[in-house]
Amino acid sequence: MSPLLFLAAADAGPVGEIAKTFGANIPALIANAISFVLVALILKKWAIGPIQKTLEDRRASIAQGLADAGRAREELAVAHRKSQELLAETGAQTGRIIEESRAAAARVTEIETQKAIAAAADIIAKARHSNEAELTRLKAELRQEFGRLVVEASVKVTGKILTLDDQKRLAEETQRQIAS
Amino acid sequence: MAWSKTLVLPFAGFCLQLATVAAEHGNHVEAAEQQGLPSAAPVIFHIGPLPVSNSMILTWVVSLLLVLAVRLGVRTMKDIPDGAQNFWEWVVEGLYDFLGGIIGADLVHKTFWFFASLFVFVVATNWFGLLPGVGTIGYGVAGEHGFHVTDPLLRGANADFNMTFAMSMVFFVLWTVWALQANGPMGFLKHIFGAKGGLSGFMGIVLMVVFFAVGLLEVVSILFRPVSLSFRLFGNVFAGENMLESMTHLGGAQLGWLTALPFYFMELLVGLVQALVFMLLTAVFTLLICSHDEEHGEDGSHH
Repeated sequence: MSPLLFLAAADAGPVGEIAKTFGANIPALIANAISFVLVALILKKWAIGPIQKTLEDRRASIAQGLADAGRAREELAVAHRKSQELLAETGAQTGRIIEESRAAAARVTEIETQKAIAAAADIIAKARHSNEAELTRLKAELRQEFGRLVVEASVKVTGKILTLDDQKRLAEETQRQIAS
Repeated sequence: MAWSKTLVLPFAGFCLQLATVAAEHGNHVEAAEQQGLPSAAPVIFHIGPLPVSNSMILTWVVSLLLVLAVRLGVRTMKDIPDGAQNFWEWVVEGLYDFLGGIIGADLVHKTFWFFASLFVFVVATNWFGLLPGVGTIGYGVAGEHGFHVTDPLLRGANADFNMTFAMSMVFFVLWTVWALQANGPMGFLKHIFGAKGGLSGFMGIVLMVVFFAVGLLEVVSILFRPVSLSFRLFGNVFAGENMLESMTHLGGAQLGWLTALPFYFMELLVGLVQALVFMLLTAVFTLLICSHDEEHGEDGSHH
């Protein structure tokens, strides 16, 4: 403790005289000290303490927010880079797939074209074969009809009734003549 | 009805003491003819053995208003502050950063509650002491120059030497505690008496003697810090109140307010500056004893 505190209590001497002039005395000093300490403690407990805590919490949350924002920015940059890489890769894959699709489509087109050509040729061949068969059948029918007409004409011209053998021979002769 | 007794009895005691003061004020008639605030604060009543002066009443009034104002402002702390909370946060954060820049982050974290309380309290009491009525309402005598108040009901808290000295002594106790916590008992003594500079041999012994003598001077300086702190604040506030009273008397009954008006603005500034000076000096004294030699470079020039 400061020596003045004890000297101030003394009645005698210059320091005691100064203390008396300014009304300094131990009881008043203790009362004022208690008063001030109480105010300081009340302010610490209910004013400065809570405000400081709020400020520290806010500082911490701001720091946390900034750290989060920084981390989010980094993650965003990484995600952006990854998306760019994915886009590039996807683009390349898409190009490759398109090329492959085009090639496959060309192959399919070629195969289908060949199939169509073969089918068309087959259809044409069948048609031709059918025509030839039909023509042969018509020719045969025509020759028979012509032989029958020749026999009939011969019967009418000659007035003679032809036997079945004659009719058969005549028709065959006619058909042979037509065929030759 | 216990609460009413609790309120009424002290009030009755207060009135009784006021009556006693009124009865005694006749003794001050001769002194009242002399202009100016009495250097000693009159005692209004006692609580047990402890005297309660008019300055102490103002201390309680200011403390009550201060605590109410702060509690109303920060009753519900919001994440986004507004109004009074914004103001108090500004005060606390501003003081914290200001002190942190001077005494360092660690020390300010530990001691801020005291320095902030000290600053806010001193500013509040200094400014409250400027309000009309403080020091001018009370018991007095009619003299040649009009009515003169000899025993005002309220007096500027820091215009009472007991208050400023009490604050200094509270700081001195805390300073000792913080110093011992930071250095330990031996470190504390070494901090004051120890030789700096790291010399050895004959020069080292010489330096030890020199620094021991310097340490003795340092002890005297430390012991008188509360005196210088308290007299500085008391002197400024006491002189300010006397000057305001003198200026008021100078202007007379009609123009007294006008002659004192410019000095009220000056006293507002003085009240703030003196609070700042008191807080800064106490903070720097704390820094000097709590900091270690290696933090001051090789010359140990912190004394």
